[in-house]
Amino acid sequence: MEFWNEFKRDKSGLVGLGILILCILLVVFEPLIIPYKEAGTKWRSIEYWQDNSQSAPPVWTNLFTKTKQAASADLRDFSKTVDADGNTIYQFHYNYQYDLAPYDLIIRAVGTGTIPLTVSVMRPDKQVIELFSTSLYNLSENEPIRISILNSSRDSALSFVREFESEENFGNIQTMSAGVTEIIFSEAKPGFVQNQIPLKGNYIFEIKVSQPIAEEGQEIPKVYFEEPHISVVGRVSGLLGTDNSKRDIFSGIIAGLKWALLIGFFTSIISVFVGVIYGIITAYFGGKVDSAMMFFWDYFISLPVLPILIVAAAIFKPSIWTLVGVLIVFSWAGSVKTVRSIALQIKEETFVEAARALGASHGRIIFRHMAPILIPYSFASMALAVPGAIIYESTVSLLGLGDTTVVTWGQILNDAYQGQAMLTGLWWWIIPPGLAIAIIGMTFAFLGFALDRILHPKLQTR
Amino acid sequence: MSEVLLEVKNLKKHFVPHLTLAQTLAGGKKRVIKAVDGVSFSIMKGEIFGLIGESGSGKTTTGKLIMKLIEPTSGTITFDGEDVTFTNKAKTQEYRRKVQMIFQDPYASMNPRFKIRDVLLEPLIIHKMHGNRAEQIERVLKALTEVKLTPPEEFLVRYPHMLSGGQRQRTATARTLILNPKMLVADEPVSMIDLSTRAEILHMMKEVQRDLGLTYLYITHDLSTARYFTDRIAVMYLGRIVEMGPADEIIDNPIHPYTQALIAAVPEPQAGKVDIIKKLPISGEIPSPANIPSGCRFHTRCPYATEACANNPEPELMDAGNGHFHACARWKEIPKAQ
Amino acid sequence: MENLLEVKNLRLYYHTSKGAVKALDDVSFSLKEGETLGLVGESGCGKTTTGVALLKMPSPPGRIEKGSQIIIDGTDIVPLSDKEIRKNIRWEKISMVFQGAMNCLTPVYTIGRQMLETLNEHRMMEEKQAVELIKEYLGHVGLPPEVMNRYPHELSGGMKQRVVIASALFLKPRLVILDEPTTALDVIVQAQIINLLKELKKTFNLSFIFITHDLALEAEVSDRICVMYAGKIAELGTNAQIYGKEPLHPYTQKLLQATPLLHKKVDTLAFIPGTPPDLINPPTGCRFNPRCHCTMEKCFTEEPPLIEVEPGHQVACWRCVK
Repeated sequence: MEFWNEFKRDKSGLVGLGILILCILLVVFEPLIIPYKEAGTKWRSIEYWQDNSQSAPPVWTNLFTKTKQAASADLRDFSKTVDADGNTIYQFHYNYQYDLAPYDLIIRAVGTGTIPLTVSVMRPDKQVIELFSTSLYNLSENEPIRISILNSSRDSALSFVREFESEENFGNIQTMSAGVTEIIFSEAKPGFVQNQIPLKGNYIFEIKVSQPIAEEGQEIPKVYFEEPHISVVGRVSGLLGTDNSKRDIFSGIIAGLKWALLIGFFTSIISVFVGVIYGIITAYFGGKVDSAMMFFWDYFISLPVLPILIVAAAIFKPSIWTLVGVLIVFSWAGSVKTVRSIALQIKEETFVEAARALGASHGRIIFRHMAPILIPYSFASMALAVPGAIIYESTVSLLGLGDTTVVTWGQILNDAYQGQAMLTGLWWWIIPPGLAIAIIGMTFAFLGFALDRILHPKLQTR
Repeated sequence: MSEVLLEVKNLKKHFVPHLTLAQTLAGGKKRVIKAVDGVSFSIMKGEIFGLIGESGSGKTTTGKLIMKLIEPTSGTITFDGEDVTFTNKAKTQEYRRKVQMIFQDPYASMNPRFKIRDVLLEPLIIHKMHGNRAEQIERVLKALTEVKLTPPEEFLVRYPHMLSGGQRQRTATARTLILNPKMLVADEPVSMIDLSTRAEILHMMKEVQRDLGLTYLYITHDLSTARYFTDRIAVMYLGRIVEMGPADEIIDNPIHPYTQALIAAVPEPQAGKVDIIKKLPISGEIPSPANIPSGCRFHTRCPYATEACANNPEPELMDAGNGHFHACARWKEIPKAQ
Repeated sequence: MENLLEVKNLRLYYHTSKGAVKALDDVSFSLKEGETLGLVGESGCGKTTTGVALLKMPSPPGRIEKGSQIIIDGTDIVPLSDKEIRKNIRWEKISMVFQGAMNCLTPVYTIGRQMLETLNEHRMMEEKQAVELIKEYLGHVGLPPEVMNRYPHELSGGMKQRVVIASALFLKPRLVILDEPTTALDVIVQAQIINLLKELKKTFNLSFIFITHDLALEAEVSDRICVMYAGKIAELGTNAQIYGKEPLHPYTQKLLQATPLLHKKVDTLAFIPGTPPDLINPPTGCRFNPRCHCTMEKCFTEEPPLIEVEPGHQVACWRCVK
């Protein structure tokens, strides 16, 4: 097709198109790509992110540091055996090659009724630490079980330390700098209260579910214990790290991509389209029509957006589409003034006069003759409106007017601001959403300019 | 016996521009710009009628009034026996099919984003003529052939900027012919064309006129070209016609002092004139149409003006015989041109 | 009498990505003091480019090629630096009234302010002196001194052109190049300006190079006429030789036949089919051969040189060579 041949000639247009296709593919294949499948809908759920690291840098930062920090992991492979006493033993293998231990280990499962269980770990040096032992009572049907080693194994850790530490050092236990996990994962030698040397190797975590003791005359209650897995809460996590609410930022970015495209696309295209047509019509008809339309516009553009948004939020449910609608309503007026001045000039062009002399209707002149000349300006406006729309959405989210059922880049940025990411040095929280917005804006800009080059024949070099 | 195709009676167009705030505060009065101030003439079927004037004469505005691109302040326009001064939408569309315009700047008169095919299809689309697209293209090809742009298929896909000035003006002419009009208004159609191509365009226009039986209103400031191309001319000054008649007659025997001055000022490609300082009996420049002089509006520059010329009412066109009309009250007393 | 201006083998090429546009390709002519030389031709022939070249102001990517000579009052200005040209040549020896200059007057400054600015660009003098000089020259072009306080939009076209002419003269150059000085003006105003130019020429003993596409106007203004086509000179002759008898070059002949006459009814006006050639790859041989009505075989193979066929009359056409 002639159009495609023309388009191919503009390298930046191809770049824009390439990025756009990539984005569309990412949206289509989101379920496959996104690490946390329900990140989009469960962004605000504390439970969903419970087991994740908090404010953790991305895993690849380990490439740049000497001290390798433990990465988050999910241990789901286990071997299940039943021992002589009828206890079910679930074994998880964990190969630890880091210098800095994970922040926490979370044991998870679902269970019903009464479950006595014991969690222990066998280290590469063959030492076994019993981390946790208790009976869980009266669990309702398939109730989730969650045990945090950090919280529950402190005493066990201390005992372990006592075993291997010198008396002297142990006495200074108040100044112990190590946490539970550090102790678990470091060499057991004197002095490891203060300085830990990582013990690298294969760790085997064991969950032992015992048979409960039967009551007199009662049947042995069945133990319902399913889906055990261990979450290693690393110090680095994910492709883009996590925020202070433990949310995986990469998932957030991927989940937010479709909203960015939608918000950007719809808001910019519709509002610029409306604004351009409005500007052309008011310029074309002039006189009283122009006065009336510009009066309306004047009023519109001076409207205080925020109070109206608040009132609107009070009346309407804040969904993302309402938001897009509101954004359109408040953005269309921006391009009108410039378009009007350009249109006033185009109106005086001889070919417009010639079209009138041929008997062209107002509609034909406006849409066939004048509007196409404003395409370059429209595309530029649309491209520039896209990042603006996305940011505007985030401001709206700040007011609690955003759609809490979805996650958008604007929201992520906003959370970063609220969570003082700058001050706490969480660069991986700030840069990805900002960069993503910029890239989308650039993509639309490239596409816009390439399209205009084709649609404006005089710019073609022949 | 030729019949009258277009008749214009006492046509006037006065512009009243809005005062700025500053002007209103300064107590300014609303100025009236009398661009066309009482113009009357008729064009016969099959005739080429020239409207001659300098800038500010009102010739272009008259053309636009006849094209109904602007509405007259007063006066009448009659076309083919019908009063078309004020028409409703349907009648206006009908009129547009009959009267078309060729503009001065061939490049500016076409939308640069349109292919030639679209430029020429436009009138057919607007007036819903000539059936389906295939038939319309046929008509377009025919029009291109009529203006000698051959092979026409080659021109369909080009853009205006790929054509030469002469080719563009032919395309513009083809665009007017597509609707089978009865009359063409040409506003300085060759002034932006190279000299060597001018005659070609004028030749083409004359051929088209003959073949299709058209009538032309030819607006220009160039007296020499007007003599070559037109049958009758009317000379305009400051919104009124000061002289009208057969082109040869007017140019060989001008009566009105303004016409005489115009003719004296035109340069001619003859040897021996280098050291001659031309005698220009009139002085100054054309007054503003917002401040039209009293009486005969030419009296401020006329070498023969008397007090009567300034005080008496403005002279109407008088018949000097032979279809030669003029508006000089003192014509019998002033010397004829050399 | 020594020639005031001698142009020898002037070549000006625009070096574009598509190739060199040979806007001027070996142009040679001379001008005596007190003479008006007319450069006439159609769009793209190189007449404006010649004017601009004489001031050494080709717009980039134009360049005056090596081998060109522009000798003013005995000095070849081609090798001179821009600084020297600005100091000694431009506006001092040669000045120019550019095409459409009257429309380039800034609407936000008064006439006086703009003329002062032009004056100060070339010569430093006390403001009082400068104002006096400007008023003097406004008088020479027939304008009252109050014009200094007017804005361009308050002046008519003729008055603006007079201002531009005055600005070209006030440093007393010997040669003034006028590029289409009357094209945008009405016929009567045009005649007035031409009269003015003729008077100024006598008063100040000026030499003019008068550039226009209007053959009729050229006849009334120029002592010698240089007809240009596609960057070269087609014919160069006196007013009498071109307009009195019949010119020799087929192009000039056709051009004159294409010019309508006011006082004579012309039956058929001539025209030249085709368009001016591409200056990047001009036709081989004579550049006019695609459009010429009387070509010989030689016209397509060899480019005709400019040869003097009678005293003061040069033609570049094989048909005119004996």
